[in-house]
Amino acid sequence: MWVWLKESWPILWPTLAAIGVILAVVPLLGLYMTFIERKLAAYVQDRIGPNRVGPFGLLQAVADGIKIFLKEQVIPDHVYTTLYFLAPAMSLMTAMFALVVMPFGPVPTDYEGGFRFVVQPGNDIGILFMMAISSLSAYGIIVGGWASNNKYSIYGAIRSCAQFISYEIPLGLSIIGVIAITGSLNIEKIVEAQSGSILDWNVCWQPLALLIFFTAALAETNRLPFDLPECEQELVGGFHTEYSGIKFVLFFLAEYTHIVTVSFLTALLFFGGWHFPGLPNPTGGTTLGMILGLAVLLFKVSMVVLFIILLRWALPRFRFDQLMGLAWKGLIPMGLVHLVGVAIVLSLGLPKHLLILTAALPIAAAYYSSVKFNASMGRWNALESGVRKTSAVSYE
Amino acid sequence: MWVVAQQQIDPGNLARVPGTSFPGHFSKVMLASVILGAVAYWLMQYGVVKNKVMNWVGMALFGVGIILAFAAVPSEDPTALIRFCFSVLAVSGAMGFVVAREPVHAALGFATAVLSSCGVLFMQEAYFVAAATMIVYAGATIIIFLFVLMFAQQTNLRAYDIKLTRPWLAAGIATALVITITWSVADEGEILPIKIDTTRVNSLAAQPLSDNGTPPMPTKDMSGKQVASFVPSKTAGLGRAMYTDYLMAIELAGTILLVATIGAIVLAQRPAEVKS
Repeated sequence: MWVWLKESWPILWPTLAAIGVILAVVPLLGLYMTFIERKLAAYVQDRIGPNRVGPFGLLQAVADGIKIFLKEQVIPDHVYTTLYFLAPAMSLMTAMFALVVMPFGPVPTDYEGGFRFVVQPGNDIGILFMMAISSLSAYGIIVGGWASNNKYSIYGAIRSCAQFISYEIPLGLSIIGVIAITGSLNIEKIVEAQSGSILDWNVCWQPLALLIFFTAALAETNRLPFDLPECEQELVGGFHTEYSGIKFVLFFLAEYTHIVTVSFLTALLFFGGWHFPGLPNPTGGTTLGMILGLAVLLFKVSMVVLFIILLRWALPRFRFDQLMGLAWKGLIPMGLVHLVGVAIVLSLGLPKHLLILTAALPIAAAYYSSVKFNASMGRWNALESGVRKTSAVSYE
Repeated sequence: MWVVAQQQIDPGNLARVPGTSFPGHFSKVMLASVILGAVAYWLMQYGVVKNKVMNWVGMALFGVGIILAFAAVPSEDPTALIRFCFSVLAVSGAMGFVVAREPVHAALGFATAVLSSCGVLFMQEAYFVAAATMIVYAGATIIIFLFVLMFAQQTNLRAYDIKLTRPWLAAGIATALVITITWSVADEGEILPIKIDTTRVNSLAAQPLSDNGTPPMPTKDMSGKQVASFVPSKTAGLGRAMYTDYLMAIELAGTILLVATIGAIVLAQRPAEVKS
């Protein structure tokens, strides 16, 4: 065993180092994302937000962390204890596990040795592995909801089941276009394929895929437009009604980890990853290039994170039938159309930028629905006034 | 028409893929642990033995069986230990699946078994199969099970959850099956080469893989004709094989799934109301 350990140490230590970086940074990031979220929410609602603890309120996140750890563990009488305790851990574990193949900095496609910004470089099925793991993230919520043994929690769990199963399909469909044109499931290779000018970024020629991917991925994070499993107005707290203190925080750390994953994936798959026009390809090997690439990637990711947080304060929550309708009647047909478009472009050898025409589809859909909505509102107004008139007559 | 692949044929390089060579005592140890597991299942299965103490004895026997199986793990390879842990988890999950009285616990046991099998597949670098199994079974099927279970019954076990119909028969068949499989795996043998028509355009066997994949291995089949046998080692190779050499099978499987989907829609539809 020791001999084996000694022999494999050159391969082992970069892996352990990358795991260490992820384990250290992600919880910290989650802690500070709550702070950024509170600050942004405050600005959106014309308040100041947390500004008392430390300079600009920066230590508020640390104070929150300490408070959470010191909270009393409340365990309700009626829960199924084992699964009740297991659920938050499952939730966080699946969220963190997806980060195994995700590059968080420039990674060359021909990795040789030494530290690199990913736990497992050159994984042959990278993006598929992430999808496989993220399809498991429903378990934490389902088990937590069921083990709480309470009807609101169970409703939350049931909703989350349906939501996860529905939104996996458009998520997969949207990624297939990227994979088909790159010809690889390996995330590093997908980024490498976007290394040319800004027009080579996937967003510039398959915006429809980005739209579907981002919507579906947002649904998997349980964030506000899609937070039906936990919506406070209907279900008290949904699946986490019975959870408090550190157990509650594990659920929310998982949610923030999902946001980090989604943001990284959006930046890597659609916005060129660590490439930026004007900068040399950082995977050439120079340290400065690597640091610049890391900065570019982190900048893109933080932009996506800020966008996701702003979305929470911009969009209202869906009703459940609207949620299902969006997946099955909106995103899946659009994804299929996009897939057919990619297949046509690939098999006829057409220039790939023709795919940008698919962006007309959501625009047309939006226009159609707004026209329909206006018409229905007109009808409703007419009906309403008619009702008022007749009722005024009949009641008098 | 079976044609030789482009490589030079080396008659000494026939595709005799050896069965995993186990130490000599392997078969007997495995046999003992399988039988112990069967007995343990008996004792653990509530409804066969209505005694809490005996259930615990069954669990202890199951543990003894696992420890016995541990003796067969080669000690020089540390990854074998991890594989063994995954296997133990898979077997325990499956046992939980069968024994659990609460349907949700059973579904979670099933999930454990599936995920641990995926772990074994990952250890053997069958990445695509592992990820696909995870998405299809753990990510979709079992979640739908849980969905239905939570909808259908929230309290009170039904009669069919407690009562077993033919436990003796099921356990007997399962034991025979596991013993047969163990026997055939432990026995050193050869896996017959797959026959591939290499004249087909883009066939995996016709062209050696460029990046790191194993090139096809030219071999002879039973009747002495030369065929190309191969093991697609990379995801790209797997994809190429699926959509060239096994195209018919893939399309048929897809058609069956389509028919099943249409059938499900037809079955789920409420009968149209008769207009009077």
